[in-house]
Amino acid sequence: MPKPKSPFTRRSFLKTTLAAAAGAASLPITSHAFRRPTAKYIRYNVTSEGGQKAIKSYNIAIEQMLKLPPTHPHNWFRNAFVHLMDCPHGNWWFYVWHRGFLGYFEETIRNLSGDSTFAFPYWDWTTLPEIPAGMFDGVLTPTAAPYAHYTRTLDVFTAFIQPPMMAYWDTLSPAQRNQLNIRGYTDFKKMWNEVTGNGDPSNQAFAITAKARYLTRENPKLDEDTYQNCKPSTILSGLSPTDFYNETVSLSFTSKKTESHNSMPERGAFSMLEGLPHNIVHNYIGGVTNIDPGPYGNMTNNLSPVDPLFFLHHSNMDRLWDVWTRKQQSRGLPILPPEPDLDTLKKEPFLFFVNGKAKFVGDSTAGEYLSMERFDYEYEPGGFPNTLLQTRSARQKRGQVQVKGTVSGNKATLSLPSASIKEHLATSAAAASLVAEVTVPNPGLSSPTREFHVLVGAPADVTEADPKSPYYAGTVAFFGNMSHAHGSSADTTFAVPLPTAPQAFKGLAAATTSVNIRIVPAYGRRQTPAVLKAAIVRAV
Amino acid sequence: MHTLLATLIFFALLVQTAGAPGRVVTLVLPRDLSADEGAAVEVKVGVIARGAQIKVETTAGKLLGVISPYGIRSGDEAGTYPIPVPAEAISNKRVSLRITLSYNRSKRTPTAQEVRSVQLKITPSRQ
Repeated sequence: MPKPKSPFTRRSFLKTTLAAAAGAASLPITSHAFRRPTAKYIRYNVTSEGGQKAIKSYNIAIEQMLKLPPTHPHNWFRNAFVHLMDCPHGNWWFYVWHRGFLGYFEETIRNLSGDSTFAFPYWDWTTLPEIPAGMFDGVLTPTAAPYAHYTRTLDVFTAFIQPPMMAYWDTLSPAQRNQLNIRGYTDFKKMWNEVTGNGDPSNQAFAITAKARYLTRENPKLDEDTYQNCKPSTILSGLSPTDFYNETVSLSFTSKKTESHNSMPERGAFSMLEGLPHNIVHNYIGGVTNIDPGPYGNMTNNLSPVDPLFFLHHSNMDRLWDVWTRKQQSRGLPILPPEPDLDTLKKEPFLFFVNGKAKFVGDSTAGEYLSMERFDYEYEPGGFPNTLLQTRSARQKRGQVQVKGTVSGNKATLSLPSASIKEHLATSAAAASLVAEVTVPNPGLSSPTREFHVLVGAPADVTEADPKSPYYAGTVAFFGNMSHAHGSSADTTFAVPLPTAPQAFKGLAAATTSVNIRIVPAYGRRQTPAVLKAAIVRAV
Repeated sequence: MHTLLATLIFFALLVQTAGAPGRVVTLVLPRDLSADEGAAVEVKVGVIARGAQIKVETTAGKLLGVISPYGIRSGDEAGTYPIPVPAEAISNKRVSLRITLSYNRSKRTPTAQEVRSVQLKITPSRQ
């Protein structure tokens, strides 16, 4: 399988880093300036052929790690304790620490599986809102029988892992102990309290084998609330900040700057991507909302790497950091903070990593993991979003499409370039390139109909449609107290992506295609006729 | 530009409503969004039970996001979370949101200690 090309090189990375340090944001960057031949390792989408091959190797390595004695740094559970003792959340080291954790662990899997090409596949929950099927096979679920030998009860787990962990604790350096103090683990017992929950089942990081993962092969899907945090619109918003760090968290790609990566995020701030999709995917897989008040499955707590899914989830988070980085580069924007923040970010010590040869890495700093070149990997293209990184010229070309419709009653008719429709249909629903701006008069406070479905290309006899319909584009709604405040006569314009089902578009062989857009009262409420004031379709 | 955007912090009118659980918050932008801007609400969450979640939706029922704290030490505040607000949810510079706390299969209105503040901010465009 040929390797895709990466858009940036070590030289370009350093160049952009320096630009960021200097506060520059207008380098004459082209997409070609950042290309390099290949990285050594490719992280594939788990649904792809390469991803499926990778999880087979992953399974082999986990079998080996489960069999290793608990004194061995590569023992499966020992690896999870690296996360429990050192992981940052809610601060600006979140991405870079997890890159180091995954990078070294990837080396371990490579060594133990015998697959010299292994790299972690990523689980893109935006396009696949369910646990990938293969992740229920073999030991790729923590509920599998081989785990029970170690996790069938808390007592069994304690007898197995606590003595070697206590012995390890006694070997820690003053610098490591200082970091654990910041974390609140001033002695071994305080750390172990997190494993047991110290009487609070909701805070118990340990999970018995049978309940180690809430979702099952028969029930693998994320629920509606969880998926809301993973939707394209949320991901795009999370990628929109142009600063690596900004004190206003809405404008920051990363979470809050803290004194240490071990500082707990109390009174902190989570970036959109960490705070929404990252957190809720962890929690939902562990059973939050379904088995409250716990104890939850592994993914909900800091022993989450006991669930092999952890690494596919974090591979996707790391991929989104890469997407953001390349977006910044393609627009001539800095990818790291300026000095002196950059120095602060880079010099943070990460002291608990274990490398692929089962050696403690010892002194390392965050600056070593800011580039993917440290572990020489790149991501297979194709995960969401696949339109964000288009060249500027392609976006400008598409941006020229803007067609205003002829309106009558609740219907608008537009003549759209067929080429634009074909391009739109070629994208996923998550990345629709044609958007309708529909202007609807406010129906007034007394109207019982305040929500309308937008239909595209629907035959005349189709008067209702739900989201499953090929003609359904979206639902627009008015808020009562808003119209009260501003009068009931105001028109409101809503942006709705056109559907990506081919049934919505007929006659694409011609240069232009006639497309109708209608609004109808939602949910069968027909007391008020729908009225459309204007409709414009734009390419975005 | 960013400094300017960062200073655009808006006020929230917090209203406790009868009937459906949840705190209704009406937020107002000082000006219309330009074509290259978006909006987000920043929700500051205090101490909530492990497993509790804060749901943010429009008063019309459109779910915007769910705050599900992870990695928070027991007894600590959960922190601040930005949630994107789609342009179509904003009309006449206003958006009305309903904020609920869900836990253990029940929903209720969060206390002022559990949801400490809500702010609406202008963000860069998604594109």
